[in-house]
Amino acid sequence: MGKILLKVEKLKVKVDGKETLKDVNLQIKRGEVQALLGPNASGKSTLAQVILGNPKYRIVKGKISFGGKEITKLSPEKRVKLGIGLTWQSPPAIKGVRLSQFLKEIFLIKKEIKEIKEIKYLKDREINLNFSGGEKKISELLQVLSLNPKLVIFDEIDSGLDIKKLQQVANIIKKELVEKNIAILLITHNGQILDYLKPDWTFVMLDGRIICKEKDYKKVLKTIKKYGYEKCKKCKFLANRP
Amino acid sequence: MVMKNAKNVNFWQIDHKVKNILGVEGVVVLPSPKAWQKFDWVKSLFKEKPKEGYFVWVKKQVPFPLSTCVTIASPKISQNLTNLLVIEKGLEIKVNVVCNAAKNNLYGSHKAKGKLILKEGASLDYYHFHQWGEKDFVSPDYEFTLGKNSKLVYNYKNLLPPANLELKTVIYGKENSSSNINFLINGINSKIKIEDILFLEGENSQGIVKLRLVGRKKSDIDARSEIVAKNIVKGHLDCQGLLVDKDSKISLTPKLICQNKGAQLTHEASIGRIAEEQLTYLRMRGLSEKEATDLIISGFLKI
Repeated sequence: MGKILLKVEKLKVKVDGKETLKDVNLQIKRGEVQALLGPNASGKSTLAQVILGNPKYRIVKGKISFGGKEITKLSPEKRVKLGIGLTWQSPPAIKGVRLSQFLKEIFLIKKEIKEIKEIKYLKDREINLNFSGGEKKISELLQVLSLNPKLVIFDEIDSGLDIKKLQQVANIIKKELVEKNIAILLITHNGQILDYLKPDWTFVMLDGRIICKEKDYKKVLKTIKKYGYEKCKKCKFLANRP
Repeated sequence: MVMKNAKNVNFWQIDHKVKNILGVEGVVVLPSPKAWQKFDWVKSLFKEKPKEGYFVWVKKQVPFPLSTCVTIASPKISQNLTNLLVIEKGLEIKVNVVCNAAKNNLYGSHKAKGKLILKEGASLDYYHFHQWGEKDFVSPDYEFTLGKNSKLVYNYKNLLPPANLELKTVIYGKENSSSNINFLINGINSKIKIEDILFLEGENSQGIVKLRLVGRKKSDIDARSEIVAKNIVKGHLDCQGLLVDKDSKISLTPKLICQNKGAQLTHEASIGRIAEEQLTYLRMRGLSEKEATDLIISGFLKI
């Protein structure tokens, strides 16, 4: 693995006066695949949105750096231009704007991309308007790939996908990102996609804190399946806290 | 929109001068004063002799769109147009109409009174594009008469509005006629007044009127949209406003008047602002806030 690409230090975030992230620390190296697990409303999506600079969230403490440069106060678009991409869990519809307006021609003619059969009928549709769950995931994936990212945060890319679609999405991520040494943070609450992408590190987030860091994702998943997330707070096996 | 090749335009007027008239087989194109002199039935439509404007009489089917272009190119020009478009029975015609100012600060005035007549079974796709300078005054006043079984699609699009726009439109629909009317207006530092009335007169006539209005940079938009049902008809009004900044104002007044108990009239109206979530989403695709705003507006102004 290479140098540190993303560094989140002692991050505290408030939204509507409520503290949603509490002293979060996270590091992702170039080419690394990491997974962030946690139950609903544990702060996973908030962390993703804050890393991308969503103005809705107020950082009260801590800092975020990317490629050695502090980006805590940078606009979302500048962060994207530096190479951070995010696929949204529930992306909003943009009426009257076709997906192809975002996907550059050069991107659409790439062989591997052309093989995604959904492109044909998705590119001329209005972004996310009446998209099925699976179509939204494919659209998000295509959009983020077209940005030439150095790091991609996938927010629940595996939720709502059937096995076949999940395999297809995982294969694209593998081919287009993992094999090209692009760093990945997989946010997931069911962990389905981890079997395909095999993270280098797995984290667990609870109540706005990262409470666990573990190399063996299977061990984490097994424990969560057996005891639930609440058990993680007291877990002896997963006590390797960051 | 500017005509790409004005020489192929069927009627082209700059300031007060007719630059080009291109007739095609089965289509009579004349300056409207000449048409008034030549045809008695035109006299019955306009009491006074027109000063300027176009007359297009489509007597046979043509396989391509017809087009007219009226431009203000010199300072302080005051156009007073009378336009007439007649589509004969059963013809299916597409017409592109462009009215514009060649420059931004010409202080021009463009008044247009128009009548569009669709005879029985005729079909017209009428695209009306306006593009003005920020000091101009523009007031189109159009009347559409839809014969039995005729079909009208009318798209009025104004992305570069003048300082002052007064847009009046009246549509009369006879038996089994259908009309699909869209007004797409991007108010930028403009005072805009819109009045449209759709009279559904004939049995089984139907119509949809959509307004998409954007208010930005100190715009003041007042839109009154009305459907009058005089028979067993169906009509729907869909008025939506998008207020982009705090110095602008949009007033929407949808009105339904029902004079027949078998008629079905509905309306929806809303004025909103750009959702923060949409802006943030687009910014996370690398667009600046302004680019994201413009993209959302362009999407809103599409039908």
